[in-house]
Amino acid sequence: MFNDWEDSLRDRLNAAAIPDGGWGYSPSAAPCAEPTALSCLALSPRGIEADVVHRGLSLLARLQRPDGSVSVALNIESPCWPTGLAVLAWSLSEGNSAPRYRPQTEKAVEWLLRNRGKATEPNPVVYGHDTTLTGWSWVESTHAWVEPTAYAILALRAAGNGEHPRVREGIRLLLDRAIPGGGWNYGNPRIYKSTLRPFPGPTGIALTALAGQPGDSRIEAGIAYLGHELLHVRSPLSLGWGLIGLTAWGRRPDDASVWLEKSAKRALLGRPSPVNDALLLLARSARCPMTERSLGVATTNG
Amino acid sequence: MSRREMLGVGGALLLGGGIAAGLRIASGRERGHRADVFIGRAPDYYADLGNIVQLGLSTLGIGRGDIRGKRILLKPNLVETAPGQSHINTNPAIILAVAEALRRLDAREVIVAEGQGHQRDSQLVLDESGMGDALEEAGLAFVDLNHDEFAAIPNAGAWTDLAPLYLPNTLLGVDWVISMPKMKTHHWAGVTCSMKNLFGVMPGVVYGWPKNVLHYAGIPQSILDINATVKPSLAIVDAIVGMEGDGPIMGTPKEVGCIVMGRNLPAVDATCTRIMGLNPYGVPYLALASGRLGPLHETNIAQRGEPIAALRTTFAILDVPHLKSVIAG
Repeated sequence: MFNDWEDSLRDRLNAAAIPDGGWGYSPSAAPCAEPTALSCLALSPRGIEADVVHRGLSLLARLQRPDGSVSVALNIESPCWPTGLAVLAWSLSEGNSAPRYRPQTEKAVEWLLRNRGKATEPNPVVYGHDTTLTGWSWVESTHAWVEPTAYAILALRAAGNGEHPRVREGIRLLLDRAIPGGGWNYGNPRIYKSTLRPFPGPTGIALTALAGQPGDSRIEAGIAYLGHELLHVRSPLSLGWGLIGLTAWGRRPDDASVWLEKSAKRALLGRPSPVNDALLLLARSARCPMTERSLGVATTNG
Repeated sequence: MSRREMLGVGGALLLGGGIAAGLRIASGRERGHRADVFIGRAPDYYADLGNIVQLGLSTLGIGRGDIRGKRILLKPNLVETAPGQSHINTNPAIILAVAEALRRLDAREVIVAEGQGHQRDSQLVLDESGMGDALEEAGLAFVDLNHDEFAAIPNAGAWTDLAPLYLPNTLLGVDWVISMPKMKTHHWAGVTCSMKNLFGVMPGVVYGWPKNVLHYAGIPQSILDINATVKPSLAIVDAIVGMEGDGPIMGTPKEVGCIVMGRNLPAVDATCTRIMGLNPYGVPYLALASGRLGPLHETNIAQRGEPIAALRTTFAILDVPHLKSVIAG
């Protein structure tokens, strides 16, 4: 049984689907990998939504290049940072459609395992992180950052490669990029003498990717940061990822549903954003949609 | 001299060597480049900013005939937010004043657009900066350039190997782009003003968060390529309260009390750098722009409104080797 806002978001997300497959960053825009992958994860692959989900998964396959990577959009060869998100969608979108994309998933996984962020010589005077860890980058041949690294970890884990050395290195990278006071930003904890500020969205994404790791003070500090920060954050992107991250650690706030409803109602008054709508729908679940199948991490509150 | 060879000149300046020689080269290279820059005194954000902007526009020779019927994109500098740190971002009051002035001159449409380099969540930045409420009240639409549709455009500068450049369709569909930065120091670039502000038009979906591709390609060179390709029509700098020290996000507020405006962005940024008590020829991207995209030399810039000397206040710069050249000798 869905709440009214959930029904409305589902309807809007369904309506925003492009007839040829996939979703753009706005309803009238050309399809892109990220909104398509997140929308496929948010909607049900069964029943009346099965068709749009199938066409979305198919669009992701069309975005795949011969080397296995998945480009951001049809009109550009690279960057391919959404490859991890595509693997997640192909792997976690339940139902009959998932096995259909096993060859694409395998090729994408191979690319993820081959592809590395660019390491640089350590320079602790300038940077507060270990620049020799490679992780994954937004754009090929550039440095690794939190979000693409987290997507790659989630994807490789969902595809059964959770113990791969690349995943273990990615986890080390995420922990290394944690901001000393708690949380993550895009991936720079310090530059020169200044500790930089955390953001709720990347913190939620990092915590989601770190789900199932042994207890660590940096993870606890990130959870504490989000627990405080989300009290006043109502933007769908940050709230959505923040709640997904807390849920992955069984720390979903009691008021999560209230916050989501408030955020959704405001979002429904504005211009549709498939990414935002999908994240609000994904965050409504008391089980973490990104990790529950690969890790069995779940919570019953919220 | 090829652009690559010219780049070598910029590189020499970047390393801080031969500033005087660089000045001589630059003054010769700037022959034929002239620009007007207006400085309007604005002691705080409660001042009559609309009047100051209107005076600036008319002083620069921009009237109804230039604006009527045009679609205009205002590009503020929105980065991230933190409690009590409003000096990180362009103040909403200036955006509203400029939009109102352009509407009075019969602009067909004024929109505000940004693609933040660090904080991906535009809605969060709009909520927490107060910009969202201000724009809504003024009936101004905001476009998130990071997630806009984009198209490949030939790189009109070619100081980097980035070809083509991918630019947002919203930006490509307007008649005028107005760069509206905050006057700040920058831990990599030395100074960030109207030219560096255009990093924010590059879509994050293509260039990432941060837009690391541009760092690898070279920050000064990327700034020139973007400016040469986007061809902004005007710069209006929020220099009422700037940022010194560890800019562009961790620095401290610096009261300056003015708005700086001009149609040639290198000239505007050179003027801002002088107001900041710093050396424009020591800022690598400005040294590279000198004589290519505009003038830096004081003799080539017609200063309108308030004189620089009346507002000059020295901005603290991070004590790091690559920024030594920025400090005025």
